[in-house]
Amino acid sequence: MTGASPHSPPSLSDAFIEALANLRSQGRRSLLALIGILIGTASIVALLNIGHIGQAEAMKAFNELGVDMIRIQATRTSSGGHAHFDRSVIDALSGREAMVAEAVPLALGSGRVFSGPQQANLSIVGATTELAALNRWRPVSGRLLRAIDDGSTVAVLGSQAAASLSAPGAEIGPGSAIRLGDYVFTVVGVLAERDRQMLDATNYANAVLIPLAGARRVLAGDQPNVVMVRLRPGTDQEAAGRRLSAMLADPRTTVQVTSALEVVAAMGRQRAIFASLLAAIGGVSLLVGGIGVMNVMLMSVMERRREIGLRAAVGATPAELRLMFLIEAGLLSAAGGVLGAVAGIGVSLLVAMVSGWEFVLAMHVLPLGPAVAGAVGLIFGLYPAVAASRLDPIEALRAV
Amino acid sequence: MLTLTHISKSYGARGEVAALTDVSLGIGQGEFCAIVGASGCGKSTLLNIIGLLDRPDAGQVAFDRRVIDAGSRAEAARLRNELIGFVFQSFHLLPRLTAWQNAALPLQYRGVSRSDRRPRALEMLDQVGLKDRAEHLPSELSGGQSQRVALARALIGAPRLLLADEPTGSLDSASANDIMALLRRINREAGLTIVMVTHDRDLAARCDRRIELHDGQVVSAEAAA
Repeated sequence: MTGASPHSPPSLSDAFIEALANLRSQGRRSLLALIGILIGTASIVALLNIGHIGQAEAMKAFNELGVDMIRIQATRTSSGGHAHFDRSVIDALSGREAMVAEAVPLALGSGRVFSGPQQANLSIVGATTELAALNRWRPVSGRLLRAIDDGSTVAVLGSQAAASLSAPGAEIGPGSAIRLGDYVFTVVGVLAERDRQMLDATNYANAVLIPLAGARRVLAGDQPNVVMVRLRPGTDQEAAGRRLSAMLADPRTTVQVTSALEVVAAMGRQRAIFASLLAAIGGVSLLVGGIGVMNVMLMSVMERRREIGLRAAVGATPAELRLMFLIEAGLLSAAGGVLGAVAGIGVSLLVAMVSGWEFVLAMHVLPLGPAVAGAVGLIFGLYPAVAASRLDPIEALRAV
Repeated sequence: MLTLTHISKSYGARGEVAALTDVSLGIGQGEFCAIVGASGCGKSTLLNIIGLLDRPDAGQVAFDRRVIDAGSRAEAARLRNELIGFVFQSFHLLPRLTAWQNAALPLQYRGVSRSDRRPRALEMLDQVGLKDRAEHLPSELSGGQSQRVALARALIGAPRLLLADEPTGSLDSASANDIMALLRRINREAGLTIVMVTHDRDLAARCDRRIELHDGQVVSAEAAA
């Protein structure tokens, strides 16, 4: 065989420099394919990051209470009357049931509350010190309810409730008097603002808290109608819910059980619908972008037949020609992918702002978009590249 | 230096169009030889076979008495890169590349680095009298200048054989003369073997030797001058 002089392929940096120059010369067509890839990648990155933000946001709703909580609410049966639980049964729960770590009762109602000329419809909550601890309430002024308050006419106001009972120059605060029904209560504290938790029986910011023991003055009956139960770690929440509701139900009362995990699952399902929608958009755009890349590359191969023929004549092997076009397709897609990742983060930032969520960046998402885009480019670039490498150099050189 | 023995080539689905029939030829080292003949006589097919762009149906091509049997297209590409320089009628310069980058193209497929390619391309452009146009694009060059760049590209890999397919076919007579003189000079000074296809009798007369084809057969092949 003729002198085996060293023949080595062009260096990769050469190949990249050339690919860039070729893409630039393709101008607008390259741009269109790039935009397709960009939208596809942006959708995928946005989808993943919004999912991440949503999850973080959802978990925030359990920050204070945790996910090992269930809420059991008494509702009226058809026979009527005031639905309630027996306080003694609830107090015995945590001792008798191994799965219950803590059971905190509260009485929930609503009513019109007056403060001088101001009035508001507020939730009225008969609460205990345990409920305050469970919810990690903090007073912004004054104090919380104490055990010695049982039976006395003192109240703690939620932050919004305090605001709606205040008049200019007559701010409600510790020492103020408010009227509930026929009773005058003394405000001893106002709660600090807090995100509403998923399992909260009511919006406590808009509530008046009074001692449970004296609640029958303003609420029907003196028995609680809601129980917050903290389960021991590892308890099957569904089974626990069924067992506890069986224990607490009686002919006059049916119970409604809401578990934290259930709420998390429901939110997850909602997010999944959203996510599959975005995934579909992303997939379709990537497909369209990929076809765009294929189109650009096929046109490019057609237009550059003479170049391909010449390169073949001066020594480019089919593999080298294939690589040349593959690099172009890959670069085009990867560029779209990088821009798409940036755009996707922008979209998720926008969604977070509109939803009032806190923006977080899922770092693991960032490389994913460009990687998927690059893969799409290589897959769709393969056919044009192979077509280029199969051109007969004689025919190619003859092309006009 | 180049030996063709019993080369046949035909085209068409069943090989019904014979392009070359039993062509045998020997071309010596340093010869400047013209292949002439009417259009359709098989000149281009012969050039493609010599240039390893096409394979004969039968017969052998040998360089320096070594039979070339390019098993794959990749191997043929490597052999072309190493052995043969091409000059075409329509120059075939890549429009995006400057003159020196065009001239340096074959080196790229030998894995020569960018920084090493440039001085060699400039030197080659100097030899064809175009050093001052190194940074120009093909669109800024005249036909004669373009063909000089193509010639530099053909020579940069120090080939054993230069194949020229109607190298002056797209040029005015003055430029054609220049290119012809340049080919002559390269042939004399470097002893490079040149095979040129032309239908121009005057140009053919300036070569050492004329090989005339008619209907795919060699009708006259003068001995070397």
